[in-house]
Amino acid sequence: MKNKKGQMEIMGLAIVIMLLIVGMLFVVRFVITKEPEGYKKEFTQSQLASNMLNTLLKTNTDCPDLTITELLQDCGHNPDNPAITCSNNGKKSCQFVEDTAKYIFNQTLDEWNINYHFTVYFEEDNPIIELGSTCPNDQKTEIFPIPSYTTLFTRLDICG
Amino acid sequence: MHTMETIVVLFVFFILLIMGFIFYVRVAQSNIGTEQEEARQLKAIEIAQRAMFLPEIQCSEENIISNNCIDYLKLVAASEIIKQNELYYYDKLGFSNITITQIYPNPKNWTLYDKSLEEYQDKIITNIPISIFDPREKKNSFGVMKVEYFRTKE
Repeated sequence: MKNKKGQMEIMGLAIVIMLLIVGMLFVVRFVITKEPEGYKKEFTQSQLASNMLNTLLKTNTDCPDLTITELLQDCGHNPDNPAITCSNNGKKSCQFVEDTAKYIFNQTLDEWNINYHFTVYFEEDNPIIELGSTCPNDQKTEIFPIPSYTTLFTRLDICG
Repeated sequence: MHTMETIVVLFVFFILLIMGFIFYVRVAQSNIGTEQEEARQLKAIEIAQRAMFLPEIQCSEENIISNNCIDYLKLVAASEIIKQNELYYYDKLGFSNITITQIYPNPKNWTLYDKSLEEYQDKIITNIPISIFDPREKKNSFGVMKVEYFRTKE
């Protein structure tokens, strides 16, 4: 009888220790291994997509002083044969915008090792200009509509 | 016999108590580290935001402020003014280095504020794309404001 009581006590003790271990594992999982909130990453990504696109579209080019938006409007009227040809290098507006955007992204997002996907389109499946590659996971997206022949969309995805 | 049992039980109890206390201290230390990192990130964002919205360099037309835009003429003047009033701007911008780079069409570079540390624990860099507006020619260039926030050695 005394032996049985001792066994029961040990059983109880084992259960208490098991519960303690489970509790500790729980604390380790949710408290110690907790990553700091990525405030900076969140801020950078959300600001970057909108500022990048906004700034890019406002920029005056050396293709007779037109902005990227104005060149895109021309490009949108007839993507196969745009009306504007840049006098300094003979490039058509669509090609000029693509080259300029490529240069700017190369000097910024590529330098900072940030993946992106930039598209200009009337229909999403058939972009006129496409730079970078589609984001595999999370992304911050900014879309700016530009009035043209029909509404032209510029879209920038910053990959997370 | 009973005294021996009591001593063993108390011994085990105190061992468990000490282990629990050590564990608690570790958890508390880890939490403090996480909170410090978060506070540091928030400070870096605060400085980047302050720099972006400095009235000394912001574009404005008839008292209407344009966001995400730097006035070229104000920028050139502000670089000098900030250098002459370093203490005033230190309160706002702390240990940081703020540079503005024009990327397109003609690459150029300006240092707006420089209170860099030679010896620092680490630094957080925030790059913000920004328009540089030249009011004389009414043209926008593509630029980047780079804000480096330094963390002092502890």
